[in-house]
Amino acid sequence: MALEDYKADMERCSQCSYCKWVPLDQIKSQRFAKGCPSVSYNNFNSYSARGRFAVALSLINGQSTYTDRVRDIVYQCATCGSCDVADKICRYNLEPLEMMHELRFRLVEDGQTLPQHLKVIDSLRQQNNMLMESASNRGDWAKGLVVKNIANKPAKVLFHAGCRFSYDKDLSESARSAVTILKNAGVDIGIMGKDESCCGGRVYDMGYKDEFLKLAEKTIKAWTAAGVKTVVTSCADCFHAFSRLYPPLGAKFEVLHTVQYLDRLIKEGKLKFTKTVPRRVTYHDPCHLGRQGEPYVPWQGQEKKIFKQVVVYEPRKPRYNGAWGVYAPPRDVLKAIPGVELVEMERIKEYAWCCGAGGGSREAYPEFSGWTAAERIEEAKSTGAEAIVSACGWCERNFIDAVTATGDKLKVFDIIDLVKQAI
Amino acid sequence: MALTREAYRAFEDVVGPRNISDDPALLDSYRYPLSHTAIHLGPYYRVYTPRGEAVLLPGSTEEVQAIVKLCNKYKIKFKASSTFWSAMGYPNDENTIQLDMRRMDRVLEIDEKNMFAIIEPNVIGAVLQAEAMKVGLNTHIIGAGSSCSPLASATSFAGAGPSGMFMGGHGENMLGLEWVMPDGELLRTGSLGAGLGWFCGEGPGPSVRSIIRGGLGTQGALGVFTKIAIKLFPWPGPARLPVEGIVPAYKVPMPDNFRTYTLSFPTWQAWADACYKIWDAEIGYIGHRQFSMFGRDLKWAMVKILTDPTKTLYDLEELMQDPEVVRITEDMKRDFQLVLAGMTLRDIEWQDKALDEILTETGGWKSAAMLDPDITDWSFLYLVRLGHKNLNLVYGGGYDGCFGLQGNPDFGTQYIEEVTEFKRQWEEKGNIAAAGGDCAMGGIGVMGGGGATVWENFAHFDPHDKASTEGTLEFFNASSAYGVKRGWGPGMEKQNDSARWTDGKTTPKEIRNKLLSGGQSSVFRYQRRIKETFDPNDLGDTYYRTLE
Repeated sequence: MALEDYKADMERCSQCSYCKWVPLDQIKSQRFAKGCPSVSYNNFNSYSARGRFAVALSLINGQSTYTDRVRDIVYQCATCGSCDVADKICRYNLEPLEMMHELRFRLVEDGQTLPQHLKVIDSLRQQNNMLMESASNRGDWAKGLVVKNIANKPAKVLFHAGCRFSYDKDLSESARSAVTILKNAGVDIGIMGKDESCCGGRVYDMGYKDEFLKLAEKTIKAWTAAGVKTVVTSCADCFHAFSRLYPPLGAKFEVLHTVQYLDRLIKEGKLKFTKTVPRRVTYHDPCHLGRQGEPYVPWQGQEKKIFKQVVVYEPRKPRYNGAWGVYAPPRDVLKAIPGVELVEMERIKEYAWCCGAGGGSREAYPEFSGWTAAERIEEAKSTGAEAIVSACGWCERNFIDAVTATGDKLKVFDIIDLVKQAI
Repeated sequence: MALTREAYRAFEDVVGPRNISDDPALLDSYRYPLSHTAIHLGPYYRVYTPRGEAVLLPGSTEEVQAIVKLCNKYKIKFKASSTFWSAMGYPNDENTIQLDMRRMDRVLEIDEKNMFAIIEPNVIGAVLQAEAMKVGLNTHIIGAGSSCSPLASATSFAGAGPSGMFMGGHGENMLGLEWVMPDGELLRTGSLGAGLGWFCGEGPGPSVRSIIRGGLGTQGALGVFTKIAIKLFPWPGPARLPVEGIVPAYKVPMPDNFRTYTLSFPTWQAWADACYKIWDAEIGYIGHRQFSMFGRDLKWAMVKILTDPTKTLYDLEELMQDPEVVRITEDMKRDFQLVLAGMTLRDIEWQDKALDEILTETGGWKSAAMLDPDITDWSFLYLVRLGHKNLNLVYGGGYDGCFGLQGNPDFGTQYIEEVTEFKRQWEEKGNIAAAGGDCAMGGIGVMGGGGATVWENFAHFDPHDKASTEGTLEFFNASSAYGVKRGWGPGMEKQNDSARWTDGKTTPKEIRNKLLSGGQSSVFRYQRRIKETFDPNDLGDTYYRTLE
């Protein structure tokens, strides 16, 4: 697809502004009614899906040209997909998130990049990770763990740590715990250590399609060579890349998030808790595990009209609107932990507020990214929870930074941390 | 004419650099396509409202005042809008700045005892409703849905909607008002103007209701309304809507003291009689001919799609092959939706009996298919929150209402079959969706106590398709001519022709004068005097109709 292929969406967007809010049916209060962090922070229409449709149309029609403001409009978005859900509540056909990706691809092609992103991309090309760390240190997170490296010994399940859990010292323990718990539950698990590579999902969201393709092809090739059938990851971004972005490239691996595997083990009686964890917690749905975590459905087709002017697609086009995201497994795991009391925030599941770390926002717009996370922290606190729990290292990093900046006492956990405490 | 740097800097000094922009691409996100939605003119293919000179995001009444005063100083036109879902909210001319009221989005107070809320422009219906429900109150949601600003419809447009029979239209619900007049001066009206609080719009302070809005409102053409108090009404339901279901088929378990029915009738006369009887019995909370917007032929199939999260429009053809779908569709041919709200369980029992009597007297029935618990729960939420109104556009991306058989129920029902046949013939030509001719939808009783219905017969088209858009314009021209010939006058589809023209800009003066010099020309001449007094520098647009 090319940007021009979304011209119909641009012209059919009715500018209703539903994209700015959580689904209207789900609004529970003034304080937590908004859905799109980008327009909530910047306020101009152009920072919403409806506005970006209009800006893209203006650009492709030659009515405007690239400016600093245009770059800001295009890149100051966490690509969280809240607008995509809202647009499909009623308008079943619009694809603002896909259009947003195409718009970014076009800007990158045209050299309209951000220096903050280029710094990361340059490092990524050399070091295969998003944190501008040395590739040679990638496997350090697993030092001391007794676990197979699939380069030497085959394993039924590959654990992919991802860039954030590999390099972020505050979070690496969660990855170590995941491997240990899965292994102790009888899972034949292996890792790739220093040979693991970035999934490419975050650079895809930033607009660097070629970089993504290189990384994806490299990973698919490595997994295929190692005979990998099943991949487990604790990172929502990696989960999304492997389950949604890789299949169109020919990947055929079973992809599970750690919470799905844990949920399966608990329900099969293979993982039992022995300790009580007396905590009142709230759960944050990562965008790439929740609304963007729906299974990939292959589709190739074209638009047609029925009843003269009713627009449909032949064959039936899959609708990604967050309905079938990964929502129950993390909640079921939390509810299974003795002593844990799960209290929900107002914005959850397909209409959860984003953590602010995605789409290159954390790298290029730290103030916006931090504000978005702080908004979520406020929402978490409003539930009376003592901790916010998530299932993505990027979300957790952003929350830790927001809590640190504001001096809040709210604790931030990965689900695996609580599981570990209960064993 | 671009803003001078001096003027831009002066505006920037008021709102700060973060809240002003004249970037061309950004400005293009503040233009409205005239090939779209219910704007009551056109549709005109790939025609847009003009690009403003700058967009400003004021954060307070003081900032709005300062901006308007600068507009008077530099002779720059201005247009304020909140939720931007119609061409009415956008500039008509060059040399106009756009005020986006988005930053003024607070529910400032809910006075539970006196049953009103004080709100800013960008509070939307859904937010106000959610806050009001916490204290057992509710707000009227206008027909365009809960994404719209109650302040905008209360001050500047009709404000009609499905809950009008119980709660009145928003034109009726406006109490105290804070108005930045076109010259930048501030006027507080009603009790607020006398320093006595927000509870009354008419006195003991100044009343300006007839100047600022009249029946239809001035559509943003006469200053900026920065705060209002708006009436709230009893809500005998839960403090928070317990929404269930899988997106997009959300639903709410209907409480025991509510009922949600689709009522159908053997004749249109029976339909009209039922309206009068319901109003006389004072039993309706929400009344709407809602799902008929999908068309007489397709509405039940659409309800099936909307209540099943796995279905899409793709399923429409297959569903229409099902004889049971066709049978139910026929059963609901002359229908409307009614929500009853009992303040107690005894009350709802009484209302149910009263409704049963009305149905016996009129030969009507409760459409059985819509009584399925899942569909009841879905339609209950749909009608209470009105959070799916962009379904108006679901078929092809564009729609507008035509004919507009507005008035007492006897009026619309007398002509609906004639209009249906007329539209059905145009549907066959292929440029508008073939939905069954009758897509007439609207509130049942759009003012307090009932008394009138507002119907617009939707024509669904594709704004991305030149033939569809231009074919729809041809249909609207024909339907207007037909309405004139039949003595109904031009319909809703031409409502804004006197304000905005085919190029997206102000209607030329000679055409405007011709359109406004009909039967009520003295009204528009009087409004000319008002405009000269309140807007001496002519900084508002022609949505405020005047005849020179």
